[in-house]
Amino acid sequence: MYQSKSGFFKKYVDEVGLNPNVGTWSWFLHRITGVILVLYLFMHFFVLGSSLAGGETFNKWLSTVQNPVFHFLEIGLAAVVAFHLLNGLRITITDFFLATKAHKAIFWIAMIIFLILMIITLVVFLPRIFSPH
Amino acid sequence: MNQKPGKGSAYGWLLQRITGIFLAFFLILHFQVLHFTARWKIDFDLVTQRLESTGWVIFYLIFVPAGFFHAFNGAWQVIHDYRPKSRTQKAVKSLLWILGIALSAYGYYLIVTFTKGA
Ligand code: HEM
Repeated sequence: MYQSKSGFFKKYVDEVGLNPNVGTWSWFLHRITGVILVLYLFMHFFVLGSSLAGGETFNKWLSTVQNPVFHFLEIGLAAVVAFHLLNGLRITITDFFLATKAHKAIFWIAMIIFLILMIITLVVFLPRIFSPH
Repeated sequence: MNQKPGKGSAYGWLLQRITGIFLAFFLILHFQVLHFTARWKIDFDLVTQRLESTGWVIFYLIFVPAGFFHAFNGAWQVIHDYRPKSRTQKAVKSLLWILGIALSAYGYYLIVTFTKGA
């Protein structure tokens, strides 16, 4: 893909502006979600690392991250993972099966699956936000 | 561009996709087990109980390095798009490899901790 040489963030604005199509948008979202997941992975391992101090410390950390606010954020995490996962499979299928012509169609199929997964996620997670435990 | 033609550059591309396919299966299972079928409150016992099974230990032994490889190889692609100088590229690449290997080792150490239990 053509890469503009302008500033750190502006290059993404340029990219989408130059070619405002499904391929560019999905590329941009794939990158954002990928970077979010890398940052999340660091936090995830930080919390898991508390287990080195024993089960009790670990449980304390887990209680901190299992409250309504975090359950709400988890819906966002699920959305980020679901998008990156489905679009990643779309990229892989497009590349391996030389299906460039079908990439837009595959994208919309992926987005339908995305919507279904998000409905399931909401059904499971919303009760956790609104009822105490 | 600082890459010599035909020198290893396609491996990153291929491995990003292969680890991606693995992660798709792993992450779905990971979410299924920890967020959809597990009791609401996850705690130490739940994790150690699961890690009593060899199958889950093997699962994590593959999941951890596959995840870090994918994460840092992906981060490399993002950085590479900013066309850094050849020397910077080498430094960043080394740093990402060290981070990935160190964090994978750390992950393995945590797996051992969880298999031992409290
Ligand atoms: C769930 C299954 C996943 C699949 C199927 C998947 C698939 C992919 C694929 C195919 C690419 C290459 C995109 C390209 O070359 O244009 C990619 C990029 C990337 N992935 Fe994933 N991935 C998954 C999970 C993850 C996770 C868990 C992380 C982070 C911890 C992650 C971080 C990244 C990053 C940072 C990139 C680079 C983004 C870019 O170049 O714009 N991915 N992923």
